[in-house]
Amino acid sequence: MSFKRTVLLSAILWLALITVLHCALNLRLRWFSGGEAQQEAKFRVGFIPVTCHLTCPVTDFINKQVNGENFFEPVRFNGFPELKEAFLSDYMPATFILAPLAMALREQGVPIKIVYLGHRDGTAMMVHKDSRIFRIEDLKGKTVAVPNRYSNQRLLLFKAFKERGMKITDVNLIEMPPPDMPAALYAKAVDAITSGEPFMGQTELDGYGRILYLTKDVWPNFISCVLAVNESAIKNDREKVQRLVDGIASSGKWLDQKMDHRLLAADFVAKQYYNQDPRLLSFVLSKPPDRVKYTNLLPLKKDFEEIERLGVESGILQGKVHFEDYADPSFAKDEATVQAHRWEGEKK
Amino acid sequence: MKTPGRSARIMLPIAVSVIFLLLWDGAVRFSGSDLFPKPLDVLRGILELVEKGLLLKYIVASLFRVTWGFALALLVGVPAGLLLGWYAHAFAAFNPLIQMFRPISPIAWIPVAILWFGVSDAAPVFLIFLASVFPITVSSIAAVKNMQPVYLRAAQNFGLTRGQLFRRVIFPSCLPQILTGIRIALGVAWLVVVAAEMIAVNSGLGYLIIDARNAGKRYDLVVAGMVMIGVIGLVLDLLVRQLEKFDEVRWGYANR
Repeated sequence: MSFKRTVLLSAILWLALITVLHCALNLRLRWFSGGEAQQEAKFRVGFIPVTCHLTCPVTDFINKQVNGENFFEPVRFNGFPELKEAFLSDYMPATFILAPLAMALREQGVPIKIVYLGHRDGTAMMVHKDSRIFRIEDLKGKTVAVPNRYSNQRLLLFKAFKERGMKITDVNLIEMPPPDMPAALYAKAVDAITSGEPFMGQTELDGYGRILYLTKDVWPNFISCVLAVNESAIKNDREKVQRLVDGIASSGKWLDQKMDHRLLAADFVAKQYYNQDPRLLSFVLSKPPDRVKYTNLLPLKKDFEEIERLGVESGILQGKVHFEDYADPSFAKDEATVQAHRWEGEKK
Repeated sequence: MKTPGRSARIMLPIAVSVIFLLLWDGAVRFSGSDLFPKPLDVLRGILELVEKGLLLKYIVASLFRVTWGFALALLVGVPAGLLLGWYAHAFAAFNPLIQMFRPISPIAWIPVAILWFGVSDAAPVFLIFLASVFPITVSSIAAVKNMQPVYLRAAQNFGLTRGQLFRRVIFPSCLPQILTGIRIALGVAWLVVVAAEMIAVNSGLGYLIIDARNAGKRYDLVVAGMVMIGVIGLVLDLLVRQLEKFDEVRWGYANR
């Protein structure tokens, strides 16, 4: 066979083969079965595999177990920048996101509204077990890794320092993706790390991390991530936003109802959504059980005003927008009326 | 330089690989690290991926994205390079822009890719296209510029039309040099697969590495992803080199 024919033929064959294989293995043939339209109609919700966003996969899983399907599609991201960009590109109308990041986006004119909280507490500051840092004051002159300048972990540090008469410039703050933090602490590349779970619990579980503080000790009822939606969804898809908020609320209540529920969630979320070791999620959801909480998730003005104030003081917010601009608590119900999911795991 | 014999060509790389693996294993044992995996841990990680049926899926996903990104780069890069190499005015007009875009890392394009394409397969395909289109274009431009004038004079004597000139003289005479560019570009395309799959796609070898970082202490899977990318990169290069065996290309390398 001639050169031209060999190259052309093998190129076309390869293109066809790899495309068919990819559709069959990874896209589950939805192009061929006409399932694409159905996929498009689903309401996408962005999340990252951290405990702050746990109610997203829990709601998806329980809805599927109880109803056979779920009306929204959870979309997993690996970091906040990609998640934020997908939200900005209108790829998804709803997402779990850092509260100060949502507020900053609002200041920059993005039509984003916080409709519910993702969790309360659920973050820690870890130091190496050999380290001589025992109090927050000991962090002076040390290097501390935070997930993002818009993370509440940074604001929390700011608050803790202020209360102790220290300045944020007393430490060397660096931004680092949370998944890389445990290894950085292990290698002693940084002196302390702080981010959402399970990355903090992992250092404890693996025996080289020590808790300097849990958020609940420094800033009780701390909020790090919230559920935010695009204003157009509030206008055009009210019913879906309401169902989403109700589902998240029921999942939160369900998670805080019994330790059995948490352990069950740790198992199915770790295996089917986060691809993490179930032991790790069980650890951070149970030791201690109030390390992260999923009830009282109604967005309250006074909580956000505190974040606003700290955000302005620490230079990440300009103070141009307020609670009424970036939040819409009308979908959230009073905690007392929230019903937990009635699902106790598979009993088949 | 003496060329190695057949057995040496097989034995030498194996010996070097074995020494490398032993050094790696020894270094991890010596440092006492329980985070960094030993070669056997990585092998177990790869076997685990095979058992879960993920390895084939991920390889297919990455190859799919590289194939389409690279194919588009070829379709755009080769004709564009030939034209720019031939028409000096076009070259003068476009070359500064090309040289400006060329050094921008595909990682810098990630935000743009997500804003334009969301998180579908189109975004990583676009990134791979960007990474490979410039080496292909530049090597095609250089190939035309370095063409021996005698071919052109002969073509003029035969009175070829412009279309015939491109198809029957310029393209064949540039092919060996273009192919070298293609080899480099394929390496680059495969190189950026990790960066391209940092976008929220949920399959692929690049995704495997990023996902393993999210999964806690699974550095065995991080290195397993690296090993698979390396092995497939080697196979791809060997395949492209097979093209050099055809007469249409081999003449260009004959004097080596």
